[in-house]
Amino acid sequence: MLVNFDQIIEALIETVQMVGFSLLFSAILGLPLGILLVVTRKGHLLENLPVFNVINGIINIFRSVPFIILMVAIIPITRFIVGTSIGTAAAVVPLVFYAGPYIARLIENSLLEVDPGVLEAAQAMGATPAQVIFRFLIPEALSSLVLAFTIATIGLVGASAMAGAVGGGGLGDLAITYGYQRFDTMVMLITVGILVVMVQGLQTFGNLFSKRIRRR
Amino acid sequence: MIEFQQLKKVYNSGGQEVAALNGIDLLIKKGEIFGVIGFSGAGKSSLIRCVNWLEQPTSGKVIIDGKDLTALTSAQIREVKKNIGMVFQHFNLLNSKTVFANVAMPLLLSKVPKEEIKKQVTELLEFVGLSDKANYYPDQLSGGQKQRVGIARALATNPSILLCDEATSALDPQTTSSILELLRKINQEYAITILIITHEMAVIREICDRVAVIEAGKIIEEGTVFNVFSSPKTDTARNFVSSVMNDQIPDSIKEIIEKNDGLQKVFRIQFIGQTAGQPLLSQVAKKFDIHINVLFGNITELQGTPFGNLIVEFQGADREINRALMYINQEKVSIKEVKAHAS
Repeated sequence: MLVNFDQIIEALIETVQMVGFSLLFSAILGLPLGILLVVTRKGHLLENLPVFNVINGIINIFRSVPFIILMVAIIPITRFIVGTSIGTAAAVVPLVFYAGPYIARLIENSLLEVDPGVLEAAQAMGATPAQVIFRFLIPEALSSLVLAFTIATIGLVGASAMAGAVGGGGLGDLAITYGYQRFDTMVMLITVGILVVMVQGLQTFGNLFSKRIRRR
Repeated sequence: MIEFQQLKKVYNSGGQEVAALNGIDLLIKKGEIFGVIGFSGAGKSSLIRCVNWLEQPTSGKVIIDGKDLTALTSAQIREVKKNIGMVFQHFNLLNSKTVFANVAMPLLLSKVPKEEIKKQVTELLEFVGLSDKANYYPDQLSGGQKQRVGIARALATNPSILLCDEATSALDPQTTSSILELLRKINQEYAITILIITHEMAVIREICDRVAVIEAGKIIEEGTVFNVFSSPKTDTARNFVSSVMNDQIPDSIKEIIEKNDGLQKVFRIQFIGQTAGQPLLSQVAKKFDIHINVLFGNITELQGTPFGNLIVEFQGADREINRALMYINQEKVSIKEVKAHAS
């Protein structure tokens, strides 16, 4: 084997960092966008079709660019934000551009599942739009939102491995440089094995957490 | 008090304008239970939703306790809404919150202190008979219990108006009567004005003081429940009344009348209030030389007043029958001849 145990651990930590930070920033970006996508649509709480159409369009544009292209295309932006286009921190930028719009869509879907009758009851009580969103819409969708974030996190694990290909570091980097380019099957098996365990763990945790919230 | 003045609501569906409300003028007095009945699509849902601004009218006025909603800002309307509770057909409770939290929600929105919320919610749950269910979730409750939570929530801000949007339509008959009983209790103990919309005439008969019949966005009949039930003026009202009053002549008797068309003299007699207590038929039979054959009859109680309906056949000479009819008319009892092919 061409790598030692410490390198694997280091790569694992890098992956966790990449996924963690990009999840955090994409959630900060995606959550308000997802909420706006729901409440500005026709017939909803804060109907505003221009806002809806613009957000909707921009999200579709980002969602249609393949991640590997997106990564290269936004290098100037990455440089501007992080100062470099190589390394774990630099990988977070394209990951956020990739996962933010994705999370916005997932959140939109979850929020749309909330019974419109509940929102009507909220409005009948004289709730302000902010109260409707934070006291009714989000709590009612919470369990479904947890599942949405689980899907997004797993998506990020996969994407972060791809980011490794352009020097992002992490398990993907290890798998490509040693497992693929130097034909080290053992490294390939170990990295893929770790990724499988990670995804299984995340999905199981997400399911349990969501179920706990749903309380059935 | 709720007042509608020339209220109109027009929807635009696929380029076509559909008028859900077509000039409604209606006054609902303080402290009364007012029912609006109509078939689905008649506009009753739009009407009740204009009261708490879930829908905005196209033109006309909605006046709540002297305030014209069309002249208020949205912040002012939110304040007015806190004085109006609403109960929904499908309860519309938060499934993610306990019964307690659901009832507490309107108070939480008004930023009432925690201690005060706890006290009020406990009282409300006791009032609706769900003290033991405070920590349950809505999906652990039956339909009737969910509606009780809905009612407790609607009462939380101590409103002066309660709107019931088909509040019993998703419930079985027994649960319906227990919910109606609760609504009556609310009306009596808190002197809350209640506006009920429904397609079930039984609900109107059970608890309403006055009723309006709505059709194609217009009020086509309005009056006390007693007047509308005892003498409906429009076909739609008659239809609704007969759905609960059982005053139609049964088919078997219709057949007999049709078979002997013209040979029999069949009449429908309606007794109202005190006249229902008089032995009228036996007096007629004694005074005049006729036989009376009762074909069908029933007595219903409407708002505490008995209301009777009899289908009788008079046998005897035409002259005697005519005299008997005149006598009955003097007694202020309504009598009408029933012909074949008619009811």
